[in-house]
Order: sequence, then C-alpha cells, then structure tokens
Amino acid sequence: MKLFLGLFAVELIFSMGGWAQAQATIEGHIDLPKSPTAEVINKRYESDGEPGVIIPDPPAAVVYLDGVFAPAKQPATAQMAQKNLDFVPRLLPVRVGTKVEFPNQDPTYHSVFSFSQPKRFDLGRYRGDETPIPSVIFDKPGPVVCRCDIHENMRAIILVLLTPYFARTDAKGDYRIGGLPSGSYTFCAWLNDKTVLQKHVELQKGTTLHVNFP
Amino acid sequence: MKIASRRAAAFLPAAMTLLILFPAARASDDFFDSVDDHLKFSALNGAVEGRISGLLDLEEYYVQQPSPGLVYENHSFLFNPRLTLNLDLQLGKQFYLFAQARADRGYDPSEESDGQVRADQYALRYTPCADDRVNFQVGKFAGVVGSWSKRDDSWQNPFITPPLPYENLTSILDSAAAPSGSALNSWQNLSKNSRLPIIWDANYTSGASIFGSIGNFDYAAEIKNASISSNPDSWSITSVGFSNPTYSGRLGWRPNEAWNLGVSSSVGTYLIPVAAGTLPPGEGLDDYREITVAQDASFAWHHLQLWAECYETRFQVPTVGNADTLAYYIEAKYKFTPEFFAALRWNQQIYNTVPNGSGGMTVWDSDTARIDAAFTYRFTPHIQAKIQYSFNDQYDGIQATQNFVAAQFTVRF
Repeated sequence: MKLFLGLFAVELIFSMGGWAQAQATIEGHIDLPKSPTAEVINKRYESDGEPGVIIPDPPAAVVYLDGVFAPAKQPATAQMAQKNLDFVPRLLPVRVGTKVEFPNQDPTYHSVFSFSQPKRFDLGRYRGDETPIPSVIFDKPGPVVCRCDIHENMRAIILVLLTPYFARTDAKGDYRIGGLPSGSYTFCAWLNDKTVLQKHVELQKGTTLHVNFP
Repeated sequence: MKIASRRAAAFLPAAMTLLILFPAARASDDFFDSVDDHLKFSALNGAVEGRISGLLDLEEYYVQQPSPGLVYENHSFLFNPRLTLNLDLQLGKQFYLFAQARADRGYDPSEESDGQVRADQYALRYTPCADDRVNFQVGKFAGVVGSWSKRDDSWQNPFITPPLPYENLTSILDSAAAPSGSALNSWQNLSKNSRLPIIWDANYTSGASIFGSIGNFDYAAEIKNASISSNPDSWSITSVGFSNPTYSGRLGWRPNEAWNLGVSSSVGTYLIPVAAGTLPPGEGLDDYREITVAQDASFAWHHLQLWAECYETRFQVPTVGNADTLAYYIEAKYKFTPEFFAALRWNQQIYNTVPNGSGGMTVWDSDTARIDAAFTYRFTPHIQAKIQYSFNDQYDGIQATQNFVAAQFTVRF
C-alpha cells in the first residue's frame, strides 16, 4: 500500500506540473501479452519456508508522452520492493533523476543488481531493517533490468524516461494519464524492450483523447 | 586426445577474449531471458508447475603430475565440457520433484572418459504442513553433512574445484583394509581410483531424509546407502545396495540473515563388498565405519561472504585401529563491481598417528595445506568466466609444492 501511495504521489506531482500549463487527458486500452507462467523455486538443496511457486503479477505496459519538457524542480523518489521473493512492482516507470529505493520486505536476504547499460549497480546482500533503504539514482534514460543475485526467479524493469508524463496500465491494460500540455506529440506505449508502439496525438486544453493500442 | 586437449586449451582463452571484445555478449541477455521464459511450463490448471534450467561449462585444467584432488589426468592439460540440466516440478502444494542430469567426461573431470550422461540427482519431497516444520524426501540427492553441497555448481561456487575436505584423497581405500599402519601410510601413493576423501564432493548418495525448520533453527536427518566418503560409483541404489546404510544429520541455527551456523555428523560403512576378503575372520563390513563430526559457519553482509567448515573424521581400520584426521577451510568472496568478484580460500588437512605394526607409531597420510585464489567476471547475468590458481603443499608427500591452474566459462539458462 505504501508503495502504491508513493507511486501515486509521484504521478500526482507530475500531473499537477502539467496541469499548471494546460489540461488534457489521454485514456485508452493496450492489448497486453498473456500472463507469465508461474515461477517454480529451486529448492533442491534445502527448504527454508520459501514458497514453492511464485505467481507473478499480471503484465503491464507504460504509456508516455514523448517530447522535450522542463526538468523536474525536485528529484522524485519511488520504490521497488522485494516481497514474497518477487519485485513489486515488476515494471516501474520513473523520470530521469529519480531515486528508486529497494526495500526488502522479506525475512531473508536479497541482493539487487543490474547489468543494464543505463545503470549498472549492485546493492549487495541486505535485510529488511537496513537503514537507509538501499537506493539508486537513475540518471540516464532506458530500460534497466533489475535482478536478485540470490533468487534467480526475480526479474523486474525500471523504465527510465525523459518525460514527466507517463502512467502504468492496470492489469486489464487500461490507462488514464491527465494533466497533459496541449500541443502536438508522439504518444508511446512501451510493452517491452523490443515493442514500443507509437501514435501521433494532438492535445487540446480541456479535452480527453481516447487512444487504444491493439 | 592430446591434440583435442591442446585445441581446447587454445579455444577457451580465445572464447573469453571474444566475449570481452564484443559487447554482443551483453546483448544476449534478452535471448537468455526468453529461453528462461520458454523453459517454464504449467499443466492441469496450474496444479503442476515446472521449470527446466541448466548450466553449460567449458573447463580447462593445467595440472602438475600427479594430478591433485578429484582431477583425473595424466597429462598437463585437461579439457572438460559439461552440460547440466535441472528439472524442478511443484506438484500441488505438498509435493516437489527435482532431477539433475549431466553430460560430461565423468562426475569428476577425467581423461579416461570421452563422455557420459548421468542422472546425478532425483528426488521426491513431501511437505505435509503449510509451513516448513517437516519435509520427507526420498531419492538420490546431496547429503546433509556440512554446508558446501548447496554451492557445488559452477555458478554458486566462486572456485572451480571444491574445498580440500571434499576432494583431498587420503590413503583409505574402499576396496581393501590396510593390514598395518605402515601399509596404510604407503597407500597414499596408490592409484587415485580407489582412495577416498573424508567427504566426496556433493555426495549424491541414495536414501531418505527428514528435514525442516522451526523458527531460527533447522534440522535434517537422513539414511543413505553409502558413506559420505564413498566414490560416485557407489551412490546409486543399484550399485552397493542398502545393506550397510549411513546415518547422517545436521542441526542449524540462523540467529539472523547474516549468520548461518551448523553442526553435523555421519556414521557409516566406508568399505564396499569387495573389501570383505581383507577383513579379519568373522568380521563384517559394518564393523568398520567412518565417523565424522563437522561444524560449519557462514556470514554475509553487503558484498562480502565468508564460509568456514571443519571436519573431524575417524576411519575404523581393521588391525590398525582408528585413523583420525582433521580438515578445514576458510573462504572469503568479495564483489568489487556488479561484474567482478574475487575469492580466496585457505585449506588444511592434518593426520593423526596409528600403530605402524612394528611397535612404533606412524602418521597415516601426509599433512596437506592449500591456498586457492579465484577471479570471476560476469559478462551478463547468464555468462561468466572464472580463473583459479591453487598452490598445494603436502608435507613429505608426492604432491608437495604443486601448482594448479583452471579456467571455466559458464553459460546459465
């Protein structure tokens, strides 16, 4: 709940920034890929109370308004937790410059790392009561694949974007992104590293545009 | 075979160089993630969930003769490719089945085999309760003694070879009982094929176990068909039967996530049926046992990991008496960057004295000390290369001041 409130706050700040300029809204639907197969945990050498199967969150996509916008006045903070041997959420969109915290909410060690070009990092092994919460500032755009060095099933993506106008779809693929500036833009739907769908949009003050990505 | 080994010796550094020079290896991440996704499956509306995973290892060894530990090679170089496939199946909430098959040049790297395929592990686990307080397992699987077996694959082990207690062959044979202490001492020069360490690698013997965890404590007890020192040829239930079982157990305590402490013990017959003819009249194989007590400790914090184990082992030898030995290692691994980590390990094994048969006493094998250093570079979360150097010093033995170099290239999927 804390995580989602944090995400909501981040999006609200971005939305209000845009609202000050002009208000436009885009809503719509994206056809998401099918849900990933459950992950069977390797317990060949021991069993220490960890679940046998991890049911991953349904897939999601990220929509964002492409363009050049004023830099953020204050760097934002977001969270990607480790809970029940999985990343929560598995897909996290953030703006460049955002500090992402990685709280461990499991009663066991996690060791989050990434080899992705936009941000290489390795937080080492840390437990839930570690203070301050291990964090990384994402200062270059692009997808960053996060993994755990201990639990090979754990994999998540932080999508670092230049734009402040973005949203993550819900489990059904529906989205709504408000507080957008009026003008002519490219509107993108990021499904994965190889699939970024684009549409040209004309945004007008006070209007709501419906954009679906089949 | 020699030509093949030389070609392989040239191939491995070349492969590593190519990976360093061409960032294409890093682009392979998506490919291996996709392979991972395709190797997961589900059936019966989710009642059966499964996953196949594996490791592809290419290893090159440079050894000074006689080859050390569990490396069987009469020349300077040995090339050892290995494919490991794992199957993990969750059957409902209470049953878990796993299997591990390998294709390589023998369980231990050996020039004697051009190739073999084995089922190294297979077991069925039943967990009757919702929590983890008790589990029952039957099959062929890693022993509960010590803590190293869970790190025995090339991805988990920061070295290429096991710690000294898991591979240092003593003068104890499984096929014959030494007639005197002097004979036992001299058997350290015999062929490696029938000599035993105090615990043989991950010890995939066959049998049943009960284990679980309650709070910060965990326990395990097992009955297996062969001793912890037994040769891989004895691990299958069909090879030596179950007439002389080995009993082992471990108690563990995790005061917090950083520490893991354990004590374990094992008692079992180490002689195999062919040794019966070397026993005193009227005595059986189970009159002579390997008795082991072990302590293990591990610590992890941020980028540092430490492990230590100590084994006190007694081989009961007919006529000779108790042949005692103590072996231990201390190991440290530190991750300098996301891609690069190094490891250092100090190992030692010392032997007690036994009656030499002429009224005096003699040490029954040669004391050994070894230092291992290894460096690993992970190109991606799926590809890594490792190099290890070891210096072995055996007091008054045939493996004094011995150098060992090994390189390993691993692809994980």
